[in-house]
Amino acid sequence: MTRHARPLAVALLSASTLAYEILLVRVFAIEEFHHFAYMAIGVAMLGFGASGTFLALARPGRERALRWFTGAALLTPISLIASAALVHQVPLDSTQLPWDASQWPRLAVLYLLLAVPFAVGALAVLLALTLEPDRVGEIYGAGFFGAGLGAALALVILWIATPARALAVPAVAASLGALSAVAVATSRRAAVVGALACVTLAAVALARPFWRLDVTPYKGLPQVEAFPDARRIAERASPLGWVVAVDASAFRHAPGLSLGYRGTFPRQTGLFVDGQIAGAVSHWGEEPAATAILDWLPSAAPYSVGGRGRVLVLGAGGGTEVWSAASHGAAVVVAVELHPDLVGLAGWVEEVGARFADVQVTPALGDARSYVARSTEGFDLITLGAGVAFGASVAGVHALNEDFLHTVEAYVDYLEHLSDDGILAITRWLTAPPRESVRVILTAGEALSRVAPQNAIDKLIVVHSWATTTVLVKPSGFSADEVHALMSWAWERRFDLDWYPGVEGPTSGFNVLDEPVLYRAALAAVAGRERAERFEAGYAFRVSPVDDARPYPHHFLRAGSLGTFLRSDRGSWLAFAEWGYVALIATLVQSVVLAGLLLVLPAVVRARVTMTRSWLRLVGYFLAIGFAYLAAEVAAIQQLNLLLGHPVYAVAAVLVAFLVCSGLGSAWSDGRRETDGWLAALALVGMLALCGALLLGLVHLLQAAPLAVRALAAMLVLAPLAFVMGLPFPLGLRWLARNGAEGVAWAWAANGFASVVATPLAALVALEAGSSALFLLAAAAYAGAATLGRAGAGTRSLLEA
Amino acid sequence: MLLLVAGCAVTAQEGDRYERQRLAMASLIEAYGVRDSATLAAMRAVPRHEFVPDEYLNRAYGDHPLPIGNGQTISQPYIVAFMTEILNPAPRMKVLEVGTGSGYQAAVLAQIGCEVYTMEIFGALATSARLRLGRLGYGDVTVRHADGHYGWPDQAPFDAVIVTAAAGHIPPALVDQLRPGGRMIIPVGSVYGIQNLILVEKRSEDDVRTRNLLPVRFVPMLEGLR
Repeated sequence: MTRHARPLAVALLSASTLAYEILLVRVFAIEEFHHFAYMAIGVAMLGFGASGTFLALARPGRERALRWFTGAALLTPISLIASAALVHQVPLDSTQLPWDASQWPRLAVLYLLLAVPFAVGALAVLLALTLEPDRVGEIYGAGFFGAGLGAALALVILWIATPARALAVPAVAASLGALSAVAVATSRRAAVVGALACVTLAAVALARPFWRLDVTPYKGLPQVEAFPDARRIAERASPLGWVVAVDASAFRHAPGLSLGYRGTFPRQTGLFVDGQIAGAVSHWGEEPAATAILDWLPSAAPYSVGGRGRVLVLGAGGGTEVWSAASHGAAVVVAVELHPDLVGLAGWVEEVGARFADVQVTPALGDARSYVARSTEGFDLITLGAGVAFGASVAGVHALNEDFLHTVEAYVDYLEHLSDDGILAITRWLTAPPRESVRVILTAGEALSRVAPQNAIDKLIVVHSWATTTVLVKPSGFSADEVHALMSWAWERRFDLDWYPGVEGPTSGFNVLDEPVLYRAALAAVAGRERAERFEAGYAFRVSPVDDARPYPHHFLRAGSLGTFLRSDRGSWLAFAEWGYVALIATLVQSVVLAGLLLVLPAVVRARVTMTRSWLRLVGYFLAIGFAYLAAEVAAIQQLNLLLGHPVYAVAAVLVAFLVCSGLGSAWSDGRRETDGWLAALALVGMLALCGALLLGLVHLLQAAPLAVRALAAMLVLAPLAFVMGLPFPLGLRWLARNGAEGVAWAWAANGFASVVATPLAALVALEAGSSALFLLAAAAYAGAATLGRAGAGTRSLLEA
Repeated sequence: MLLLVAGCAVTAQEGDRYERQRLAMASLIEAYGVRDSATLAAMRAVPRHEFVPDEYLNRAYGDHPLPIGNGQTISQPYIVAFMTEILNPAPRMKVLEVGTGSGYQAAVLAQIGCEVYTMEIFGALATSARLRLGRLGYGDVTVRHADGHYGWPDQAPFDAVIVTAAAGHIPPALVDQLRPGGRMIIPVGSVYGIQNLILVEKRSEDDVRTRNLLPVRFVPMLEGLR
């Protein structure tokens, strides 16, 4: 029993910290925005790296290591609870980072608070490794296996508990780990008392969390819940999102509604996912004319050119587009929605059928790209709504969101699933100056050039309201009658047609733009890639179409504009503010500073060495493998996001595969020569280069398969890669330990520093150059490591002068 | 008697202090680009500290919104001035405000000489704003507790409409109740952060134009006040 106590403790502690990392990603996505996910991964790495450096520098003797192990095991659940409670007390407003210097120390405090449980948990694991050098493989494997289980555990928890309560579960797992550690404690009685106290504390936190989710006031949910009679009527939690339904008499949701509408508004229930508006359930009442409002929304534009029998709604949300299709005479409506809870709460499946008996409504749960890929039907209309709330769109908080619905490949897929007479309709918010709308027009033009390149000029219509732009694409071309019908419909609603077959030039309409940019964008889009590229190059924002390798359709800031934006006080450059991008840069800066202070500085102080070529080689080797590992992980997460249809699935799959298989690789490394680290790095160069070249293609091939098959394929692809990626670090470390322990501190410091900095840096590279390029960059880093390792293998020690 | 004199001296000192802060605030707003003389004069005149809760008196003239209860805020001074200026305010102009809050925006318009009708969905805020405006000499401002979505048909048409609560759509009733030649300013987007201000110009009953103005940063409340 005692023999298994330490590996069991290690497995449970690793499971708890990994689960906490994944849950933090979810909590940050709810309380703040998606880009904070990088922070969660970064702090985990910071904690792991800090404990490694600390241990290598402290070099405790056996007795002290035994005491520390028990102490670290007991502290892990406590720090998990304390961290979750205290981070909710830090009043950080990330949107003020560029202007308000007082936010920076808060971000640093937040970072440190979050890093502590990871540091303590990792310390316990590393001490276990130190204490049982003859069972390194077993304990290392237990750590990785536990971490893999932790990733799976986090997913399971999110299905059954609210995110606030879920955040307490890692502490429960950790307290069980502490209980396991009691068996090998030197002071058994004290350890038992401590462990039981931890179990009690964790149980209390689970029953009644010491924290509550504090959703940023920039999101829609807290704003609507402030209405006088607002009432939260339903709440559902799953890994796919925290769904809340709110009833408030003053809540009304009609994106871009015509100023000419004179009818009544239905009573509505607001639906929110992760605190952001995801649609509204309209309660139409008995009046037959109640749904008339739907014809005054910009998204009704495609119905004005004639009946659409078979309609595919991508992102059904509260069902507005489903109701619109039904009320405009569709016979079949297929509505794809990623969040099953939204479909359940909205109730449109039953209600549309009850109101329109001759309309067949079919919900399709899952991601839209996968549905389109496997569908063999041809639709008369495929429609995508405006999606996120207007405020989020303007503020650029989604700049880092991977969105595979608005890439060139996606639009090509949609166009290929249209019937002979079919139309693709995309509605986006119209910001000032326009950017998202411009990109949609250019992406539509690019997709059109691949699917039906002849006479593109007749296949595109752009219409804008005071708040939205709707782009209609019809590969078979719009007829003169259709154009006239649409013009008449738009005129009545005070919408403006920027582009249509036969347009002679920009016109000044109801909703005035400072410059006729939508017309110019459409003109460039239908005139071929060369003209489009000239237009894109001359535009103030980055508006060129994005692809699946760089799926950031909400990122518009040119890197060169950032300096001007930061220097400005207010006003003219405000439009260039992209909070997601700014937060990422802030995280990167903070990572460099904190990692430098916590990881590198101690090593400089305690393990002073002369900066010889060998020393540089050592630092370079561990820096390179640290960066490469994280870069490969981030690239894999991005591409698997497309394959699995949701970032949470992608993160969980990548973490499970990487951790379990790297653990196996590490355990297997015990039997290899310690000088073989460079060979493993060399093998990884080839494997990652292959991933960069082929993985996205494979993802496209598999998209139509069932989710289970896609998940299995993901595991099969990642497993060998992760297995080999588990070799360079332990091999290098073992070699160092044999040839001079003084280098171990530097190895931990360099690897920890690279791991911390690599997370936001890799995200930045993915944003600017794409995930395929990131795989290649990881390959290049391993190539550097192989070169350094190979050169080092020829000497007795990496630290040998 | 001595106490009375001392009390008056303290009050006078406080008044001077607030006036200095108010002038500094107006200078800042001018530096940010607000040019309309009537608007700036009103910003210099209206005692903003009377519109914030006592606990925030020392922050009344900072360029930040402040909480006023019911989860609502008094807008930051720059935004108040910016939106006022866009309306081209003038004496005797009939203005509908949707979202009274503490009544500060209404007071600024009344200070210019506008005939102000203001609506507030929170009953407690509407009552306190009515009392406050009366006490400060803005008794001509008419406050109503109602949902602004439907406008104020009894008093329509208006020369200008100012919506101080963010909305995802433009309520049609407000457009209807705008006089031909009138202007409406409405922020669209999140309550805080970056919003787009939409200017609606009603040239005639059948000719309504909108212009999406440059985005404006609505700064959040000061730390610890959320």
